[in-house]
Amino acid sequence: MNWDDLLSTALVGTSRRGVDQLTIDGAGDVHADSAEATVLAAAALAAGYRRAGWTPPTWRGTPAPPAEPDDRPECTPAATQLLELLLNRGIRVEGGPELLAVHWLTSARDAGRRPPYRLVVDLLRFGTANTAPRALVRDVIGPRGAWLAQHNPSWRWAAAVPPQDVVERFATGTRVERLTLLADLRATEPDFARTLVEDTWADEQAATRASFLDTLHTGLSMGDEPFLERALDDRAATVRAAAAVLLDRLPESARAKRMAERAKNLVGKELPDEPDEAARRDGITDHREPGYGRSASWLIQILAATPLSTWDTAQLEKAEREVVIGWTKAALRQRNQEWLTALAHHQPSPELIAALAPEAATDVLDHQKKLDARFGGLLAAAPGPWPPGFSVTIVNRLRAHKANNVLQLAAPALAEHLDPTALAAVEAWLLTLDADEKATRRALRGIAHALTIRATIRQEFT
Amino acid sequence: MAQVLAHAPDPSSAKAARGVANPRTWSDLGSNDSLVWGKCQGSARAPYQVTVDLTEPAFRCTCPSRKLPCKHGLALLLMWAANNGEVADIENAEPFAADWAAQRAGRKAARSTDRAPDPEAQAKRLAERESLMSAGIDDFERWLHDIVRQGLASARRQPPSFWDTAGARLVDAQLPGLGGRVRAMGSDIHARTDWAPHLLGELGRWYLAVRAWRRRDELDDAAMGDLRTVLGWSRRRDEIGDRVADRWWVVGLSQEEDDNSLLSQRTWLYGERTGETVMLLDFAAAGQALKVAHVLGSIVDGEVARYPGGEPRRALLTDDEPKITQGAGLPHATDIGTALDRAAHWLAGNPWLRRVPMALKDMTVVPAEPPLVVDRTGAALTLAPETDIWQLLALSGGHPVRLFGEWIDERLHPLSVEIDDRLVAL
Repeated sequence: MNWDDLLSTALVGTSRRGVDQLTIDGAGDVHADSAEATVLAAAALAAGYRRAGWTPPTWRGTPAPPAEPDDRPECTPAATQLLELLLNRGIRVEGGPELLAVHWLTSARDAGRRPPYRLVVDLLRFGTANTAPRALVRDVIGPRGAWLAQHNPSWRWAAAVPPQDVVERFATGTRVERLTLLADLRATEPDFARTLVEDTWADEQAATRASFLDTLHTGLSMGDEPFLERALDDRAATVRAAAAVLLDRLPESARAKRMAERAKNLVGKELPDEPDEAARRDGITDHREPGYGRSASWLIQILAATPLSTWDTAQLEKAEREVVIGWTKAALRQRNQEWLTALAHHQPSPELIAALAPEAATDVLDHQKKLDARFGGLLAAAPGPWPPGFSVTIVNRLRAHKANNVLQLAAPALAEHLDPTALAAVEAWLLTLDADEKATRRALRGIAHALTIRATIRQEFT
Repeated sequence: MAQVLAHAPDPSSAKAARGVANPRTWSDLGSNDSLVWGKCQGSARAPYQVTVDLTEPAFRCTCPSRKLPCKHGLALLLMWAANNGEVADIENAEPFAADWAAQRAGRKAARSTDRAPDPEAQAKRLAERESLMSAGIDDFERWLHDIVRQGLASARRQPPSFWDTAGARLVDAQLPGLGGRVRAMGSDIHARTDWAPHLLGELGRWYLAVRAWRRRDELDDAAMGDLRTVLGWSRRRDEIGDRVADRWWVVGLSQEEDDNSLLSQRTWLYGERTGETVMLLDFAAAGQALKVAHVLGSIVDGEVARYPGGEPRRALLTDDEPKITQGAGLPHATDIGTALDRAAHWLAGNPWLRRVPMALKDMTVVPAEPPLVVDRTGAALTLAPETDIWQLLALSGGHPVRLFGEWIDERLHPLSVEIDDRLVAL
């Protein structure tokens, strides 16, 4: 008798199936007083025999190639411990632990060090939950992370995809998958991504064509210009508009030169006439700028698309309001630091400040006299890291002016961007506070805490 | 610091402890030669009373956490270890700390006075216990016969109380080991796809315990030891068998909590000289101090006392201050075939053996469904469903690795993996 016969007897029960003497194949005879005892004794013998004689199945698959080696040295144990705390939300800080985790990752990437492999899974989960720092996470987890991500569909954003698979996946994926793929590819191989778009361009629906164009914002260069120029003649208005928005960012393009021709005759002289067919093709619409008339709105559109090299920043002093608006749009789109700086000094706004390099932004802030709510908005928008000199000065200025509302408005920015050397100034301020200034106290303590952690990160990566 | 944090039951406790180790949330901090104490303001209204006995160390805290030591105990030890004056030297301990220390001393003393019991009374107690157990065994045998008579299929239709009642009767008859296995079947029979062969195998092993009990006078020490384990008849410390000194490599740690919030902690040791694998087993009820775990990957140079039984044997570390050094990875790992041969050898000696330790080398993790580990010969072991396959993959990177685990019911539960000559817990 074998195990299966014994099992089927036991399943129905000895009341329904009689048993007398049993022999277990390979193990021997079982003698007992009753049918029940016989089955139980046979089960004891056979179960032991089966378990001891268990042989493992043979796996006949081919193991996937292992991860590429990672030559970067592992970070210090203290840095590891800190990252664990930040990822598992083990500590509370002003602005949230995510900001500091991003800071940790940036420092690790710049120092060329990697986290221990046991934190790769946590980092992939972090990148899955927080989309913004994904490129950074991908750099830091390195080849081990890219390899691991291939095995889990929810980590596909971090997976290393071989080029032949990209073409295949772009050809067969859903719309969302294709867009994700393009967005990723534009970050590393923008020209290859564009050729993928061009290959199937004629067969795509208008909505898909427009959203494909939107992915070109990443990695945009003059290499994309001929394709965008052709897209200005697309049959769908949404596609033409998307192409015009992209060309706005390329001051070297043929369209920008045509705009410059239109603009030269206008500034300081007159408002434009009804756009002609060529201007319409270049994307001038009847869209009204809030608060301005038809002609002024055309002017703003033309200026926003004209290369800023056409003008001189000295012209700002005497420029009309609509001209300044057009130039501001142009400076933001062309990311022209000279013009952004000039405009921010002329008429600061959070949008302009946010587009400036940290030194330029903090320089503009240094020149602001009034520490009011408007200033709080500017400070909150200023990109980091802030230079050490500015960091100490701003804390002391806020304290001297008792600008507690500015502090509240910009607390997350202060926690994120202040140089750690400003910690002493923050702590000195804390000491002078009365007990009833609870909100200020809480904000300062949060900032001090974040600065301490950032100082530790800096120390562990140098 | 690292030494203190090594006492943490898991990484999250170590983190939490660092957060709590802030003198501002503490009051009445103090320490003397053997104790550290303090009160910590937690989420409850009354502050938690925290005491650490430095001699073991052992921890006590009035917080509701079941972790041992809890974050408060660790935090207290951290602040004390910082030695920056926050924890002052005070001769007289706070009453709550002194009381606890006195209780502990009392218990220790009680244990040592127990040594000389009245032999007559002891024999009487033993006879009473054995007759109670024999009656329980007879009852259990009838119950087993009933199941086989009615059939396994009809046993599966029984309500959970069927298994719970039988388990409770076994516990009453001083057979808690069998009781636990019977109760576990109540859920296994519905949770497992292979419930029928699993149940038949267990019935066989239970019946084997019944038959072995009847013939207990003929059993040798080792077989009696294994029988006592399966019945759940524990031994007093002084009854534990032979001692052996070795350099014991700490190769695997695992902690679990059962339905009655009883914590158990297994520490697997590999003896460098003897080549023997032994297991330290510690228990603690909720709120009680579990012995501080050994550090994975370290070598404990000292003497253990082994319980009677077949290999792998349970043991007790008898050295109070063993020498601890850092090891280098997982010793004596084999391929799957060799590990299974050894398991067969062990099972021949102890048919009730469930948890088979395995140190395996050149194992490639395959993220199949279900996940596997495969050795160079292609032999595969299925990983237990609760295995963190992603962590295992991240650590190995697809390269063959050495890993240690427990093989239970044909599933491998990995506990540690060797990365760059260091053991990492899973």
